[in-house]
Amino acid sequence: MIVPMTVSVDRFEHEAMFYRGDADFLAGLLPFVRDGLERDEAVVVAEPRPRLELLRDALGDDACAVEFLDMAEIGANPGRIIGVWATALDRHTSAGRRLRGIGEPAFPGRRTAELVECRLHELLLNHAFDGGPGWRLLCPYDQEHLPRAVTQAALHTHPVRSTSSTRLPSDAYATGGHVAAFAEGLPEPDDAVLRGVYGPVDIPATRRTVAQWARSCGLPAERVEVLELAASELATNSIRHGGGTGTLAMWLENGAAVVQFTDAGTVTDPLTGRLSPPLDSEGGRGLYLVNQLCDLVQVRSSDRGTTVRVTTWF
Amino acid sequence: MEVRAHGLVTEVPGAGPADHLCWVYEDDAAFDEAAREFLAGGLARGERLLCVGERVIDSLRALTPPVADVAGLIARGALETLTLAEAYEATGPFLPEQQLAYYDAATRRAMDDGYRGLRVIAEVTDLAADPAQRAELVRWEHLADEYAVQGSGFSAMCAYRADLDKETLADVASVHPLLGAPEEISSFRLFVDGDRLTLAGSVDTFSSDRLARVLSSARAKDDGVVLDVATLEFMDVAGCRALARWAADLWARSVAVEVTGSSALLRRMWDVLDLARLAPVTFAEALA
Repeated sequence: MIVPMTVSVDRFEHEAMFYRGDADFLAGLLPFVRDGLERDEAVVVAEPRPRLELLRDALGDDACAVEFLDMAEIGANPGRIIGVWATALDRHTSAGRRLRGIGEPAFPGRRTAELVECRLHELLLNHAFDGGPGWRLLCPYDQEHLPRAVTQAALHTHPVRSTSSTRLPSDAYATGGHVAAFAEGLPEPDDAVLRGVYGPVDIPATRRTVAQWARSCGLPAERVEVLELAASELATNSIRHGGGTGTLAMWLENGAAVVQFTDAGTVTDPLTGRLSPPLDSEGGRGLYLVNQLCDLVQVRSSDRGTTVRVTTWF
Repeated sequence: MEVRAHGLVTEVPGAGPADHLCWVYEDDAAFDEAAREFLAGGLARGERLLCVGERVIDSLRALTPPVADVAGLIARGALETLTLAEAYEATGPFLPEQQLAYYDAATRRAMDDGYRGLRVIAEVTDLAADPAQRAELVRWEHLADEYAVQGSGFSAMCAYRADLDKETLADVASVHPLLGAPEEISSFRLFVDGDRLTLAGSVDTFSSDRLARVLSSARAKDDGVVLDVATLEFMDVAGCRALARWAADLWARSVAVEVTGSSALLRRMWDVLDLARLAPVTFAEALA
């Protein structure tokens, strides 16, 4: 029997679904997926592999009507996920179908910095899709295995909270939460940091410095090349939009090489670099490319300046 | 087709076929020395020498062996000179096609007279300094480059004073396979190699406008253009976009662009930025 869980309204509905164990996970998601298929909605599931397979197997024949994406791949850097949803929404909306998504960006086993980024990502989803075409996105949160702070935070980032048996507005949620999260500082590194200042004529030197450091850290040639490109794009942004100068910082931390670019500019649109820029627009491409190519990209900006931190996992 | 020398040099390299050297000099002594080297290389190869412009003719006075006997060389036809006024008279107003016709005839004449080719030194700072002539000068450099590489026997040193404004110098320098200059002038070079264009060096946001300019002034063959980027050390988003816009302009004229020798990262960028929507560029594997 299929119980319609909600009356469909024409707006973006962003819901956190808390689950404990496989059976509960399926009890929450199967009706959501089947309800969507029943309504002839386009159902897209972005889950890490084991959960994706669990759901696919449980759906049986219905699975072939669902599009599955590996969240560990498309969302390895959470800064890429909104672009994936935006593309899906655009594709299905223009084909006259409503979109229904499942996305579990904050899955167990993710590193602390990634979970921090998932929180900002969840907040930015509201900013990105509120006011646009109506669609539903359900984000499963593993209550057994995620740190409590992460599941608690999900109450603040989703206007709706649910379990396999309940569905309620989340009182902790307030619109516009992304503004503070986007402005907030990133944790300072503990260990030794290499620092340098760059100006308009220093872009080639800056990218070479980053490449040389990345090589000396033992990163493979292909990652070095990516970081060199990222350095050029991000330092160029400082020159073009960040007051003409910036500071480069590089350090090693647990299992990662980190390069960070800081300048005095302000990124006014927190979605910059998350959405595929239109072909004819001039800006926004550098950060978009960096988001696509790098392991983890963290952007923070306020009237006190902008920081872009790029983490490469060993 | 000639295998040609290319790269950044600090001294005039040993003379080879199809040399096309841009020489940026700061003072007279540096120019005289470079001219002497370049001419001596041509003499050793059995080429006729042609000196264009008063500045080059002046430097002949400072020559030392084996090109010391200027009068003798001129008398036996191994050395010709052309003042800029004479050059204008011979070639007409500065038009790349007329330049090419003139140098083609002069090269053929040298070959007919038993020389192995024609080696030209031209001091063209004044042409470059004239904003009205600059674009045509860059176009001429492309044509000269293509002409040299065809096995015509033509080779050239284009000399420019270092006190030209930097943008101008960079424009003209970037279209030579060989560049000698006291400091970095252009981060990339675009030149003809065999039947393809080669882009070498690095291109970023601050040189991508120049890349767009020199690409658009390069001659595109109707049956397609091959751009070799195997020696391209670095290219950023702005550079990729300049390349894509050039390819789109050519595609609008039904000329296809194939890029060879690209890195996996460049192709990845092309995908991520969805540049295929601007222009249908084919990426081929580098030649072994």
